[in-house]
Amino acid sequence: MLISYRNDLKPIADLAQSFAARELAGKTEEHDRYPFGEFYDHVLDKAHEVGFLGAILPESLGGIGGDIGTLCVILQTICQVDGSLGGIIFTNAMSQEIMLAAEADLAQEIFPGAASPREFLVAFPSYTDPAQTDTLPKAVGSGKDFALTGHLEFLVMGNLARQAIIPARTGKGPSYAFFLVDLSATGVEKSDPIFSLGLHACPAVDINFQGAKARLVGTENGGHAAFEKASLAMNVAAAAMNAGIMKGSFDEALAYSRERFQGGRAIVNWSEVSMVLAGMSIKSDVAAMCITQACLGLDKSGDGGGSQYISSSIHIHELACEAVTDGIQILGGYGYMKDYGQEKRYRDARMVQALLGPAPMKKLAMIRRIVDTGTNNM
Amino acid sequence: MLTSSEVASMLSRFPKFEDTWLGLSYAPHMPKHMVKETQEVIAIARKFNEDVANPLALKLDRLTHEDPDYLPWDLVAEANRWGFYTMWIPKIFGGQGYNLPSISCFSEEVASACAGIMNVIGVHYLAVTGLISSGNTRLAKKVLREVVEGERSGKPCTLALATTEPGAGTDVEEVDLVDKGKVTCQAKRVKGGYIVNGTKVFISMGHVSSWTVLYAYEDTKHPSETTIGFVVKTGTKGFSFGSHENKMGQRVCPASVLIFEDCFIPEEDVIFSPALAKKFTNKPFRDLAQRYGDYVVSATRPGVCAFGIGIARGAFEAALRYASTTYVNGRLLINNEWVQCHLAEMHKNVILGRLAYTEANNANSHRGLYRFMQSKPAYYYLKAMPRFWFDKVISPMLNWDITARVMGKLLFDMPKPEDQRCCSGWASVAKFAGTDLGVKNCQMAIEIMNHKGLRQDAGIEKMLRDIKLLQIYEGTNQLNRLNVFKCLIAPQVPQAQVFEE
Repeated sequence: MLISYRNDLKPIADLAQSFAARELAGKTEEHDRYPFGEFYDHVLDKAHEVGFLGAILPESLGGIGGDIGTLCVILQTICQVDGSLGGIIFTNAMSQEIMLAAEADLAQEIFPGAASPREFLVAFPSYTDPAQTDTLPKAVGSGKDFALTGHLEFLVMGNLARQAIIPARTGKGPSYAFFLVDLSATGVEKSDPIFSLGLHACPAVDINFQGAKARLVGTENGGHAAFEKASLAMNVAAAAMNAGIMKGSFDEALAYSRERFQGGRAIVNWSEVSMVLAGMSIKSDVAAMCITQACLGLDKSGDGGGSQYISSSIHIHELACEAVTDGIQILGGYGYMKDYGQEKRYRDARMVQALLGPAPMKKLAMIRRIVDTGTNNM
Repeated sequence: MLTSSEVASMLSRFPKFEDTWLGLSYAPHMPKHMVKETQEVIAIARKFNEDVANPLALKLDRLTHEDPDYLPWDLVAEANRWGFYTMWIPKIFGGQGYNLPSISCFSEEVASACAGIMNVIGVHYLAVTGLISSGNTRLAKKVLREVVEGERSGKPCTLALATTEPGAGTDVEEVDLVDKGKVTCQAKRVKGGYIVNGTKVFISMGHVSSWTVLYAYEDTKHPSETTIGFVVKTGTKGFSFGSHENKMGQRVCPASVLIFEDCFIPEEDVIFSPALAKKFTNKPFRDLAQRYGDYVVSATRPGVCAFGIGIARGAFEAALRYASTTYVNGRLLINNEWVQCHLAEMHKNVILGRLAYTEANNANSHRGLYRFMQSKPAYYYLKAMPRFWFDKVISPMLNWDITARVMGKLLFDMPKPEDQRCCSGWASVAKFAGTDLGVKNCQMAIEIMNHKGLRQDAGIEKMLRDIKLLQIYEGTNQLNRLNVFKCLIAPQVPQAQVFEE
């Protein structure tokens, strides 16, 4: 839908579509076996080749110089087929947003010289709003050089990336800062990949720091502001993932309902099935419209305002979790099996919903903002 | 105030008292000892959870991901050691004869630890119900005595039930749809029995069962009038297994593909057929097939509700543990009002679901399949008589033709259609209510637990995977809604037609 307003995004949409058809379609079950099967490095390589891992990164830094619209079009299209690669693209974009907002030099050091796709990845705890986490690692040091100690759960791509952006507290208070950490350095201990509900091929690890060297990103105690700034657009990007997952679920359900017969006719011709499909279609369309409007709004206003973006993203996640449940239901027993894509979407949608922190906390924060400032703008 | 005829008139209005306050109607007839017996069942289930289900649930789930070919032989052997495969087999067939509604309480308990493990136990009783409710006491005795012997010898003998076909799921659940459906599993009449050809899919526990209760059709163009029920032993020539499915959840309980290729099943292994039915009734076979199907699902759908409520409870308990021990912004999560309200809502869902399966079981006990055994005289008679009485005196009678005819009359000829509708309707209410509430609770638990809830080692994500299957099997929740309309609402609306859109 966004490409009807932004012709410039048509080529990237076509590229994402052909990439998904060529590299992902028909192979999602195989890719999803991770961590009990092989990781799909060859797909990661190709995603890097076409620039998906640097969608919002300036061309001068090795990216494709896109904006939030570019990122959303890629995520929406890829996630129709496979949410996991979307999770990787999303997480890398989040790390890049934090770094770019803090200091361009840092990104300059990492991305242009990356020798391989894995070196281009920067891990990030994408399911966490650090402000809502009581157990962040502690950072001790001065200037830019710090040492981290403590534990962090669910570091996304922690077993793939060479470096990570880690939130840690420098004092006793709730404020925190972001740090860049070399994950192969002394004092960093990673768990095996976490066996999670979904997005299996976008793995995460738990991580322990014991005096691990870390470089401050931005300012001490500036973590929350950086996270809020980045998360305004990235919440929309997460919603684009679930909009894609929802669309994929609807498309597969509709196709199946035309072919599957029950009581002597295609099930799409039973009105209750049509009602379920209509519900999915409406949710999918509403999501696409919200993403489009949010991307257009973000383009115009930059970071200013935008309470509606967070609201619509929370709403889209809720719609998606309902729609993917119906997506399995239309396929009946087959929808529950890994031969079809629906069961994976059911799992993935809930993972995507949890990106950037729990929905109840986002809702509470929204009302707190309104009460404190009279507006919901971040 | 009102005359007795006025009272009767008021109570016969929709919703009729007798179809609505089932617990009140059944209470005076309920044997008091059932309470003590049910308490014992719940205690056994809790001990099993402590010793077996809780330690194994996540371990086995992980194992099935590492090894998709895993089959739960060890778990079946363990359940057999605990006596679970004979616990609800009536004493006349050699079983332990616990009251039948108590299996729902057991299911809730075990499913709160692991729905997959519960299904490894519970699906056996789906087939046992299919066997017993056919009224064929001779075959029920033959097969169920093997189950009892399997428990004694330590070599488990369990049952599976096969109805679903690759092209027909909902259709085979409903007589009104099956004639328009694409059923292909055919039973061709030959000398001395039938030759069966066809495939059955999504058959829970197929690979590890010793006997399968199988439904095929003599004429696949007119299946409702030609349904044949068989028991077929694993290893019978022409009966083989395909793969077992790669499912999202309940992975410890395999869903098998059953293949029948020129499989000869002798006449004496037919449990239900038009020819057998003619021996005890002149009613149209189509109606008998509907009644038979209703008996099975009326008994098993409250069980599925209990599975769902077990998961709903497991999700509630996981969220409660998490909220009681986790600090957010320096405050214990459970001391947030929104969390307390979420937990209260989840607890309410568990209570409502439990009431639903209890009431559906009350319908079965008062007006359905359980009404003989759950009446006071029969219950206390079965309790009081020593085992040798059943083994030496009653057991030979089960082989008599006259016994099968009497059972056929009692099960298929005498019951009133309104009783059948009441039980079937309530079973469907329970099934879709309990499973929908289960999904809801899993979602709420994950909302409370955030990323902790997304990890397999926290348990709740497995519940979210497990619960979804319950909205599909034993008739999709959509089919069950239509069945509620058909059984409990449409009789008040003469112009209403179901499955005739």
